[in-house]
Amino acid sequence: MDPQPHGTLGPTMNLPVATPKLVVSELVKDYRFGRRTVRAIDGIDLTVGRGEIVCIVGTSGCGKSTLLRIVAGLEPPTGGVVTVDGDTVVGPGPDRGMVFQTYTLYPWRTVRANIAFGLECAGRPRAERERRVDELLGIVGLTEFAEHRPGALSGGMRQRVAIARALATEPDVLLLDEPFAALDAQTKRAMQDFLLQVWRRTGATILMVTHDIEEALYLAGRVYVFSARPGRVAAHMHLPFGATRGWSVTRDPRFLDLRDEIRDLLLAAAPARP
Amino acid sequence: MSTQVDRPAVEVGVAAGAGGDQPTPRRTRGRRQHAALRIRHELPSGWRWAFAALGAASLLGLWVAAASVWSTTSFPVPGPLATVRAGIELWSTEGLGTDLLASLRRVGVGYAISMAVGIVLGLAIGTFPAFQVYWEAPIGFLRYIPATALTPLFLLWLGIDEAPKVALVVAGTVFYNILMVADVGRAVPAEMMASAYTLGAGRWTVLRKIVFPHALPGIIDVARINLASAWLMLVVAELLAARDGLAFQMQRAYRFRQVDTMFAILLVFAVIGVASDLTLRWIRNRTAPWARP
Repeated sequence: MDPQPHGTLGPTMNLPVATPKLVVSELVKDYRFGRRTVRAIDGIDLTVGRGEIVCIVGTSGCGKSTLLRIVAGLEPPTGGVVTVDGDTVVGPGPDRGMVFQTYTLYPWRTVRANIAFGLECAGRPRAERERRVDELLGIVGLTEFAEHRPGALSGGMRQRVAIARALATEPDVLLLDEPFAALDAQTKRAMQDFLLQVWRRTGATILMVTHDIEEALYLAGRVYVFSARPGRVAAHMHLPFGATRGWSVTRDPRFLDLRDEIRDLLLAAAPARP
Repeated sequence: MSTQVDRPAVEVGVAAGAGGDQPTPRRTRGRRQHAALRIRHELPSGWRWAFAALGAASLLGLWVAAASVWSTTSFPVPGPLATVRAGIELWSTEGLGTDLLASLRRVGVGYAISMAVGIVLGLAIGTFPAFQVYWEAPIGFLRYIPATALTPLFLLWLGIDEAPKVALVVAGTVFYNILMVADVGRAVPAEMMASAYTLGAGRWTVLRKIVFPHALPGIIDVARINLASAWLMLVVAELLAARDGLAFQMQRAYRFRQVDTMFAILLVFAVIGVASDLTLRWIRNRTAPWARP
């Protein structure tokens, strides 16, 4: 029971939805606080196709990060299933690389050693690790900083390392949990373009969670809008902008209409809070 | 073309012209703070040196003053020079070197065992809730027994050789080490471990490559803090039954009423403490430069 595509303006950018890479079906998550049970997520269905960028937008507390953690296998769902290429997710694995909102780089490792971590875990030989890390350092533009420790890097650079680290093992799906939320506005914009560039070069399949509506509209092919407490899919939109969109798309009237529409949805979904 | 370029010049001109009209400031706003006595503010290096030197000088000054006041009474306090002289005497005639080595070996062996147990059990307790729950009752119960109260038992069970002294050093420090290392283990950010899992790490890899390196500087700090307790236990053990060691020499000097010798041994304890602390701090900064405060 996929929610109806909602608010699609103009001709849709039809992406192949033949066999989705990632399928989330009827996902439910309850948390227990003593005797009280709180439902964080209530029956979520969503899909991400191969090579697609899908964004989940919602206010804080709508369960969107919880959903991502369940997809990553870091938490078990109360009900429902997550599958990747038809396989059921039961725990974390390198096929679902994740980038977190806070900086999770290992401060005792250099940038190079951070990116190599997943390859070490996979038991890849040293020469192959070096080659792959060099390639990724080039992609994220941090070749000069290979031997620096994370403490010496800016916030944007750290998140670029985190993205490179998650990409190193060539995951089936890249999960991004508000990766740019802690960055200043200018850096954030640069990082969004950087992500699109990486996406075009690697063809990665990306599921990203954000509370930034414009970020979702700028990056995604499809957007799921979540309502709050419990998290449900309030709307599902195919975006009409092509894959080679530039920053000018943010002035496209359709972009502005969609932005306002999602804003209204989020306002309606979230109880008024100070 | 140059519609707005001259704007700063205009402002400068205005400011210069209006300067004469402005009243000369008489009062100040806000409260000045003296550079040397700000709360949690970095001290200028001049003041830094001054306060450090003052601290060292006050201790030395107090010692010299006490020595000169009480030198001839029935409460003799030897001065620094007399103490050093007694120390040299003790070293050359009584062979303080062997006592020093004996004490160092006891503390070294005992504290190494204690730290090894502390690291393994502490990290296990700090990372696996199952271990934490399992050890809660045994450790919670045992750690309130004063380790010094075990001295006669250890002497009875283990004889009067090295074993009871090493055992006492272990008993007196191991619980602190376990509990403090457990806290260090708990301080590893959950997200850091989560990210390792999503990169394909198993639990063993997370322990080896995330928990241990993150905890290492904290573990060294724990070692620094509890080392003082190890020496405390050693002194207790050596005072009760020993044929050599620093505290044994202390006891001997007491029997002969050699206060200057006793002061010399206290000085040796202090120097060992400072030296080991500086060494551990150096190791910490070498092995974990990323965690340097």
